[in-house]
Amino acid sequence: MNKKYFTGVFHDEESLVKAFGRLREAGIKPEEVYTPYPIHEILDGMGNKTRITHAAFFYGLFAVIGLLSFMYYVSVIDWPLVFGGKPFNAFPSFIVVTIVATILIITLATLFTFSVRAKIFPGKQAEIVHPRATDDKFVMLFSDTIGKEKEEIVVHIIQEHGEVEK
Amino acid sequence: MEEKFVVPQKFKLLTYALIAIGGISLLLGFFLDSQRAWANYLLNNFYFVSLAIGAAFFIAIQYVAQAGWSAAFKRVPEAMVSYLPVAGILFLLLFFGMHSLYHWTHEDALQTDALLQHKSPYLNTPFFFARVIFFFGAWILLTSALRKFSVKEDLEGGLNYFYKSEWYSRVLIFVLALTFSLFAVDAIMSLEPHWFSTLFAGKLFIAAVLHASTVIALIVIILHNRGHFEMLNQSHLHDFTRYIFMASIVWGYFNFAEFMLIWYANIPEETFFFVDRWHGAWKFLFYFNIVVNWAIPFVVLMPRMTSRSKPVMVPVIILLMIGQYTELYYIIWPATVHAAKFGWMEIGTFLGFAGLFSLVVANALTKASLVPKNHPYMAESVAHHF
Repeated sequence: MNKKYFTGVFHDEESLVKAFGRLREAGIKPEEVYTPYPIHEILDGMGNKTRITHAAFFYGLFAVIGLLSFMYYVSVIDWPLVFGGKPFNAFPSFIVVTIVATILIITLATLFTFSVRAKIFPGKQAEIVHPRATDDKFVMLFSDTIGKEKEEIVVHIIQEHGEVEK
Repeated sequence: MEEKFVVPQKFKLLTYALIAIGGISLLLGFFLDSQRAWANYLLNNFYFVSLAIGAAFFIAIQYVAQAGWSAAFKRVPEAMVSYLPVAGILFLLLFFGMHSLYHWTHEDALQTDALLQHKSPYLNTPFFFARVIFFFGAWILLTSALRKFSVKEDLEGGLNYFYKSEWYSRVLIFVLALTFSLFAVDAIMSLEPHWFSTLFAGKLFIAAVLHASTVIALIVIILHNRGHFEMLNQSHLHDFTRYIFMASIVWGYFNFAEFMLIWYANIPEETFFFVDRWHGAWKFLFYFNIVVNWAIPFVVLMPRMTSRSKPVMVPVIILLMIGQYTELYYIIWPATVHAAKFGWMEIGTFLGFAGLFSLVVANALTKASLVPKNHPYMAESVAHHF
């Protein structure tokens, strides 16, 4: 773990939200907040909007178009076969395959997108900011680069609601 | 939290006028083209029964899932359910139209048709109405018990009525799943007694849930615009939309699964239903139903921004209400009227039934506080946000 960070550790949601609110009033935003479960105030306050849902939508759209045109190419253009008296372009029966394969493609593609954006890959060393950040504690992460003056305010606010660990 | 709803005089007069329009167009219809009039009667009856059943299912789901967000609005589905006794009486009046609608009531057809003879122990007029009475009896019994607990909870408070309601809701879900499926088979599928589809009842059931979710949301939005339900926020709207969205996808799935399997298996006993509907206005309606009931809600209500905004929700809701009508029209008309006739009789009858339904629902809303007073999840519902 890089030395230039310090953390505020809280025991419950309420004190975290209170401290977070006061910090935002003072115009300070933590680098990152780690919580055992999503908390609306933090999500809104951090203002990080994810765009992964849009990515997923477009993966799905392209998957549908791609799959349907692939099946059309295979069964109508490249190798037309009559079976069961169905037309070459047996569209209703293509839909089932399309739905299932689209779900698979969306899942895998968004997983890879997320991994790339979050710089996560197999065998990566875990960055654990605090030993209990993955447990039941609520942890705020601050960078030392916010400056001495602000650091004092942050430390002051955090100490009223939780503990500071450097 | 006491909130009284008073039916505006103008609204009452409007519903009376609509009922009069409906009555006149039905009466004229009986003289001019009685078969078409009875088809109208059946369609609109089923349309509004499925609304009430969907609303009952909605209440039951809220209790079984112990959903907090919807507690403040539960008087709206309760009011919609109060239409059931009226619908029951209207359905019994169908007795006089059985001959115009159901092929299996014809004696001469029964004599020459082996399949109808085989089905006659189940499909005969006395047993049909015995079942109708049984279904409506069971629904009215269970839903009025739920309503009674809900009103008593307002007066006495405590958790006792909540637990009772939850237990009755479990029973209601099982009863609805069985009885409404049989009811759909009796009332709609037996119009074509030679055809059968196992998904048919499920499709009409989920259509009822979809349809009721839209109308519940619409009534809540209308009341909110009139100054009631001050606690309504975007999260509530989003949750209503989720019900519509979910039911719309399930409807699309059922509708497609039914068609695709019949199309693929290609057995003449089943395909004739779709072959009969594969030309002219029916073919248009086949695609229209899919677009209106699934494609448009799916695309429009998907983004977070649109799914929590009234200006987007209301047009989609109205579209879905039309979609439910055209779906039933698509099923009933080719089997009874045999021609895609649509005119003053259809519009008039629908307006009449809509007026009656609105009058019953509005009256039921005045009978108790618009917002439940002692519901254990009231605070959670008011504070709901995500």
